[in-house]
Amino acid sequence: MALTVRSTLVVRAALVLCLAGYVFVYATGRANNPIRSDGFSYYVYLPSWFLFHDTTLSAVARDCCGGVYPPYTAIIRWPSTRQWVNAHPIGVAIMQAPLFGVAHALTRWTNLSRDGFTLYYQHAVGLSGLLWTVAGLSVLSIVLRRHFNDGVVAATIVTILLGTNLYHYATFDSSYSHPYSFFLFAAFLDLTERWHAAPTVRTSVLLGIVAGMIVLTRHTNALFLIVLPLYGVESMASARSRGAVLKDHRALVAIIVAVTALVVAPQLAIYYSATGRMLVSSYGELGFNFTSPRLVHLLIGVQKGLFFWSPILITGCIGFAWLLKSRHSARAFVVPALLFLGADTYLIASWWDWQFGGSFGHRGFIDTFPLFAIGTAAFFERVTVNPLTRRIVTVMVVMLVALNLFQMVQYWNHVLPPSDTTWDQYRSIFLRWR
Amino acid sequence: MARRRIVFTIVVVAAVLAALAYLRDPPWLLSTTSGMRGWETDSSGTRLRWMGGHASFFVPANARSIEMPLRTTFARGDDWPVVVTVTIDDRPAERLVLRDGSWQRIVVSMPAAGSRRVRRIDLRMDRTRDDNRAAAIGEVVVR
Repeated sequence: MALTVRSTLVVRAALVLCLAGYVFVYATGRANNPIRSDGFSYYVYLPSWFLFHDTTLSAVARDCCGGVYPPYTAIIRWPSTRQWVNAHPIGVAIMQAPLFGVAHALTRWTNLSRDGFTLYYQHAVGLSGLLWTVAGLSVLSIVLRRHFNDGVVAATIVTILLGTNLYHYATFDSSYSHPYSFFLFAAFLDLTERWHAAPTVRTSVLLGIVAGMIVLTRHTNALFLIVLPLYGVESMASARSRGAVLKDHRALVAIIVAVTALVVAPQLAIYYSATGRMLVSSYGELGFNFTSPRLVHLLIGVQKGLFFWSPILITGCIGFAWLLKSRHSARAFVVPALLFLGADTYLIASWWDWQFGGSFGHRGFIDTFPLFAIGTAAFFERVTVNPLTRRIVTVMVVMLVALNLFQMVQYWNHVLPPSDTTWDQYRSIFLRWR
Repeated sequence: MARRRIVFTIVVVAAVLAALAYLRDPPWLLSTTSGMRGWETDSSGTRLRWMGGHASFFVPANARSIEMPLRTTFARGDDWPVVVTVTIDDRPAERLVLRDGSWQRIVVSMPAAGSRRVRRIDLRMDRTRDDNRAAAIGEVVVR
């Protein structure tokens, strides 16, 4: 008898599973307070704006750190103005604002210190990332259900959550930007399809808001916006007809561009007020090495290689290849997905710290998992036609999920190094708890 | 269907109200701190916790006074003294200047208690040393 799993139930189960993992990592002391490392600088805007009524970040620096942000925060004094400039933009803080409000009310009620870093604020930040991840899975399942049957969608959601480092970034490291970008990418895919099916003012405004938030959450993710104009492009002829469609709806396109600009404007104002310039990088000398990208290391290397640490994503690549040769409705995503993934991979491989510091797996690709999910769903749809391949693939996927979860717990237990893992290290700790 | 929805709403509202009543004055506050690192022992055998620019902890509301040992470091010749400001439930209570590396004890008299079972003590330091360490606090004596 075939087991029928509804994808909506899987998303609900994902919420319960993420909450259980979150409670586990904090109740057992495996993770420090949620507001840490990059999570600090993504969040710091909220206490600065709403508790200290200060847009310059100086008041928080005085309160938390004696006037000077520690180096790990990546918040630096701009040399010419002596104002604080944060390497991380305001998008994550905006998405954390709802739970921040709840945390602030509870903090007053319990009489905890209202400095933005006590108990409730900490877990408002931690739980925000978790909830946006589950919201992302929910939107992703809506997108996938338009093209695939419910069983395939359910299997894809489970695979993306548990077979990659997404679960880790929904629980252990949920204060980073990736859960937020994961949701925004899924929402942008959903709205792109809706807009191309029936372009309306409402969908255009929503697209503008999500596009703006994508830029505000991680500036380099602006590249992802190419999905909108390239959706459905499969050849030069379809590219021309897509161009004609955009021209026909130029008023709506103008609305998207205007709303995006409006959403991004506060960030530019913050940069301008701190540095006198609209576009800045507070990474100083550190930046991109476009002439020597670490592509092989990034994709298959033991240090942080995408397919080394999340081999299940290979199913997404195979799925894209099949979609390209098919007349499947999900094929509309393939060209923009491949162009974006290619450009994003090159960008990440060119970054001075291509490993993105300490992390479980390579965290730079989590944002793109909604795209990989489309390929993975296509792969599952194709292999489930034959009962034998279905069984083989099921066994392989279960084993890869189990390996990923085991390695994640190794990371939680500090068995796995946070970065620069060598092959010898990997072999010596393979399938070992301690 | 409508009746089930009403019952569900009543249960949720009752649970939220019960949670709020509990969180008004929860017993675990006495073991709650913020802005402090873990306990460690210095070379003289004194237990201490390093604080950043702002730290807080709680004491029972019936305390008459609290005594806190505090010190900082002067590793560099040009290190400035650290000014520590103490507030009780956000009201200014005491101020101390750490001018050398020795332990100094600050005694704070507690004002009349309010309706809660615990009082919040905040310590704010005007500067920090390397690694965001402003001052160390030893074992607090509550009288």
